[in-house]
Amino acid sequence: MSPTVIIIFLFIVAMTLVITYYAAKRTKSTSDFYTAGGGLTGWQNGLAIAGDYLSAASFLGIAGAIALFGFDGFLFSIGYLVAYLVVLFVVAEPLRNLGKYTLADMINARFNAKKVRGAAALSSITIVIFYMIAQLVGAGALIQLLFGIEYIWAVLLVGIMMTIYVLFGGMTATSWVQIIKAVLLMVGTVILSFLVLKNFNFNIMEMFTHMKTATPHGEAYLQPGVRYKIPLDTISLMLALVLGTAGLPHILMRFFTVRDAKTARSSVMWATWIVGIFYVMTIFLGFGAAAFVGADLITSTNPAGNMAAPLLAQALGGDILMSFISAVAFATILAVVAGLVLSGASAFAHDIYGQIIKKGKATERQQMLAARYASVGVAVFSIILAIFAQSLNVAFLVSLAFCIAASANLPVIVYTIFWKKFNTAGAISAILTGLISALVLVSVSPSVMSPEVGAAIITGNPLFPLTNPAIVSIPLGFIGGLIGTLVSNEINAKKFAEVKVRANTGGFKQL
Amino acid sequence: MAKTAEELRLEKAIRDEQDLQGSKSTLHVPDFEQIERSAGFKDLMKKKKQFLIPTTILFLGLYLLFNFVISYTNWLDAPFVGDIPWVWVFAFGLFAMTWILVTVYMKKAARFDRMAEETLKEFGYEEKEDVR
Repeated sequence: MSPTVIIIFLFIVAMTLVITYYAAKRTKSTSDFYTAGGGLTGWQNGLAIAGDYLSAASFLGIAGAIALFGFDGFLFSIGYLVAYLVVLFVVAEPLRNLGKYTLADMINARFNAKKVRGAAALSSITIVIFYMIAQLVGAGALIQLLFGIEYIWAVLLVGIMMTIYVLFGGMTATSWVQIIKAVLLMVGTVILSFLVLKNFNFNIMEMFTHMKTATPHGEAYLQPGVRYKIPLDTISLMLALVLGTAGLPHILMRFFTVRDAKTARSSVMWATWIVGIFYVMTIFLGFGAAAFVGADLITSTNPAGNMAAPLLAQALGGDILMSFISAVAFATILAVVAGLVLSGASAFAHDIYGQIIKKGKATERQQMLAARYASVGVAVFSIILAIFAQSLNVAFLVSLAFCIAASANLPVIVYTIFWKKFNTAGAISAILTGLISALVLVSVSPSVMSPEVGAAIITGNPLFPLTNPAIVSIPLGFIGGLIGTLVSNEINAKKFAEVKVRANTGGFKQL
Repeated sequence: MAKTAEELRLEKAIRDEQDLQGSKSTLHVPDFEQIERSAGFKDLMKKKKQFLIPTTILFLGLYLLFNFVISYTNWLDAPFVGDIPWVWVFAFGLFAMTWILVTVYMKKAARFDRMAEETLKEFGYEEKEDVR
């Protein structure tokens, strides 16, 4: 490790700890803890959403994938961005108008039933755990590469940092860590993009002409099909990405940190611009890495291509830029996992403990303690899983998390807001059908089962042909909700009128 | 020492929570079905649907179409200008579509806000009742 890396690294750690110190002073109630008191502005929350969303998989993973696979590496970014239209049009405003801390709050604004809350909390926790293991295992491997720290220490380091932010600073600290990370990430990507474009004389045409012959793939590099060769599999994955974002608990939770639907809306606008511009710049990073670092060096450093961006920084800006980019990657990891801990803790402490076990009668003090215990619990549990999952290929876990979010959470959200006949039985069966079908299908898919010994968790022929089951499990989630609703004859038009009025006008929040 | 400070903070938070619950009990519950049937609210829902349904079909349709075309055909492999294939143009088109629809929605939503505000005012709801 060079001294520059250590200095920049320590600076980032120190800065986030100072934020946590001030945030801790302001974190007095459960509302402060879960939602930063609901006082974030549109641009602040927009940056925080981007900081929560752009994981190391986005930054290092997509840059590397574009470097190695060209257009196919960029493909996911389209899904990740267009997904924000679903968030904006369907979810953001009703969620802010109806909910308090969690997705389950919003669904329970219509059905005051413990079973519905339990099912919603279960699916949120499942998504958070899968997403978290993927992030932590990825983080461990990356920090090992970036800073030369052993895997187990890398996981512990990230784990301890995220626990400190959440435990003491709650949502205020988490939000500001995410905001700063988003700014650092944008600065780093702009610098790298500028250097790459400078090498192509700021001429996009020249860049494409160069890329046509610069990689082992030749002309195919600029066309789809280098990486994803099974059409239905690609479509299924892309469906999970575009519909899953609107069901990710850590993203949904961000909408409770603003005061009203109008601010929630403007935060999506900010996030869309930041995330979109970032993804456009990953093209320059990927092309630059392919052209100026070369596929051989990228894959020999890390077979998945995760080191493409840091290596590009080294090639174009020397050690200092490489150190800066590595530190940005570290900040990126921290911001995402902190958001995940908080959303997992809210499902445990607010939904399961506060609302189901204590029936909403827990005192403020009990709720606050529960929130803190749950944060530590979620953090410790994921750290332990991540340490044991080191050798697991976790790339599919992120797409699985998106798939569960799209299959278990999106149908119930859509029905709750728009369908008058929707009822308690329908809500439970929508969540459980989506959740279970996604989990079962993925456990018999090529991601988990492979005839090659050691290639996947189970040796054997996969029973389901697609690596991502979204194209089947999302419709199943919707059908589950439909059948559950029709089987039960419960209907409450009065309650739906209330939900409809509140979701669409933003009035009567305190009911 | 730290513990007593912590306790004080929590006590204050409990008081705040009790205040909040106090205000809750005095609140009048409106007749939501009456609001739902009102001309203003119906108009709001109609305007919202007129915008959201076609645009959602449009963006999801274009997105899926793009994925089908690149997965099953090589129509977009041909160059657009120079060595830039069409597929990049369409991909960027989907980015531009997202930004445009967000911008258009922001404008539309400002009008929805005014309509919602009028409906709420008509039924005697004041913004200051919003206690978080």
